[in-house]
Amino acid sequence: METNPTDPALHPDALLDTLREVIDPELGINIVDLGLIYDLAVEGAKVKVKMTFTVRGCPMQQSLIRGVRIALLRVEPVEEVEVEMVWDPPWNPSMMAPEVRERVGLPGCSS
Amino acid sequence: MSSTSLAGGLPDAQRAPSPWLPLRFILLGIASLLTSVVLVVVRPDLLATYHYNQYIIAVSHLFILGFLLSVIMGAMYQMAPVVLEVTLHSERLGAWHFAGHLAAVVGLVWSFWSWQMLAAIASGALLTVGVVLFVYNLARTLRKRRHWDLASATFAAVLGWLMLTVLAGLYLAASKVWVFSPFNPIAAMHAHAHLGALGAFIILLVGVSYRLLPMFLLVELPSPRRAAFSLIALNVATLVLFVTLLLDSPWKLAGALLAVAGLTAYGLELIALLRAPGRRALDGGLRQFYAALSLLAPTAALGLVLTWPGLPATLLTTQLETVYGFLALAGVLTLAIVGMLYKILPFLVWLHAYGPHVGLRRLPALNDLYSQTLQTAGLWSYLAALGIVAVAAALGHEPGVRIGSSLWALSLALFALNVGRILSHALYPRNPSPN
Repeated sequence: METNPTDPALHPDALLDTLREVIDPELGINIVDLGLIYDLAVEGAKVKVKMTFTVRGCPMQQSLIRGVRIALLRVEPVEEVEVEMVWDPPWNPSMMAPEVRERVGLPGCSS
Repeated sequence: MSSTSLAGGLPDAQRAPSPWLPLRFILLGIASLLTSVVLVVVRPDLLATYHYNQYIIAVSHLFILGFLLSVIMGAMYQMAPVVLEVTLHSERLGAWHFAGHLAAVVGLVWSFWSWQMLAAIASGALLTVGVVLFVYNLARTLRKRRHWDLASATFAAVLGWLMLTVLAGLYLAASKVWVFSPFNPIAAMHAHAHLGALGAFIILLVGVSYRLLPMFLLVELPSPRRAAFSLIALNVATLVLFVTLLLDSPWKLAGALLAVAGLTAYGLELIALLRAPGRRALDGGLRQFYAALSLLAPTAALGLVLTWPGLPATLLTTQLETVYGFLALAGVLTLAIVGMLYKILPFLVWLHAYGPHVGLRRLPALNDLYSQTLQTAGLWSYLAALGIVAVAAALGHEPGVRIGSSLWALSLALFALNVGRILSHALYPRNPSPN
């Protein structure tokens, strides 16, 4: 399928908004504002995502990876999603969006 | 088409068994807990009089095997593969284990209550077969682990102590039928109880909290060396206490001091975790867990007093032994487990009810699955009940035990209501409230 590189649906900001539907249920915060998405790139109809988790051994890993794939595949005209799980740099609370830090009791956390 | 590349190999949740394996153990545990507490309300003499009689042995086995061991085994089936980053050796073996475990618990409680010791031995043998299946399954799971750390060492030690505890219990039951044991039966019972409570339960609690608390609080473990010291001290203390209690030796004080040293290091680590910069605020489950762990201090202090060489066996000291067991089992372990169940149960149900919908729609968070008001009321009423029962048991005051255990039952009824709410999501998944 031909894709238009200027298609607003494929703009990284729009795709990140889509990923805000996917939450970490333990914290009740979406994975974008939590700072778990390290990189998102679009190549034609393929989206490449580099993401991490708050901790190694996070029991929600499979669910969240699956959620990222499903959420992005629902966006027209995305046809392929590649999720790469990375641990470098390790996630830390300063990667959270400032507006959600307070929700987990981290008002003084600086980015 | 979509693809997923995974740097660390198999994703962790894929390593976990089906939620129904841990869930059936956990539900049996909750049913046993509620039944035990109702029995104490009906029979307050169980805690208000000396603890060596058939009824308290029956109820304590319902509590320890039916509740504590069932929940811990269910949680280990769930957590071990995730924590150790390997797959469970066999889910089918786990299902067979559950069937045997259920029959053994029912059989043991009935046979102790009616003091049918041959039936107790048969049920104990069935329980042992179940524990062997469990230990084999987990040991094969552990063997898949490529490197050893605190978590795997803890699991290995707990499996060993658990096996020894069950064998010691079988020996005790057999010694009631055939006269062959050279040991004082009460000393042997205390040694058996410490092997299970300290070796299997407390060490598991300590080891698992080193893994789970940093994960929940979003910080690193402050001092892995201190954590390792606490686990080594507790393991050595278990061995020393078992031998010295069995032989009724004055050296049991050394075992108690070692346990206190291990628990002190653990307490320092817990405080350091609370002071870690950038940690997340405690939620209801973690507050309950910390409340439980703070009860380790009075429990360990009382244990130290009771191991003092030459302490006379008076009405007060024997009742204090009951209070010590009550604080350890109903205080530290139960409160900690109920706190952790507020994490584990919503997680298991969420995975079943909402896991397939991730990425398709906005979903509730884990703490949306239950009432936090009920949880807070449950914690405060539980702490009040513990205080009342402990004081009344120390004084041998039956009406006081009944009042305290009624409050305890009320607190657990609030917990059961929340469990019902959580489970209802498995049947009727809901949309989240807008935030």
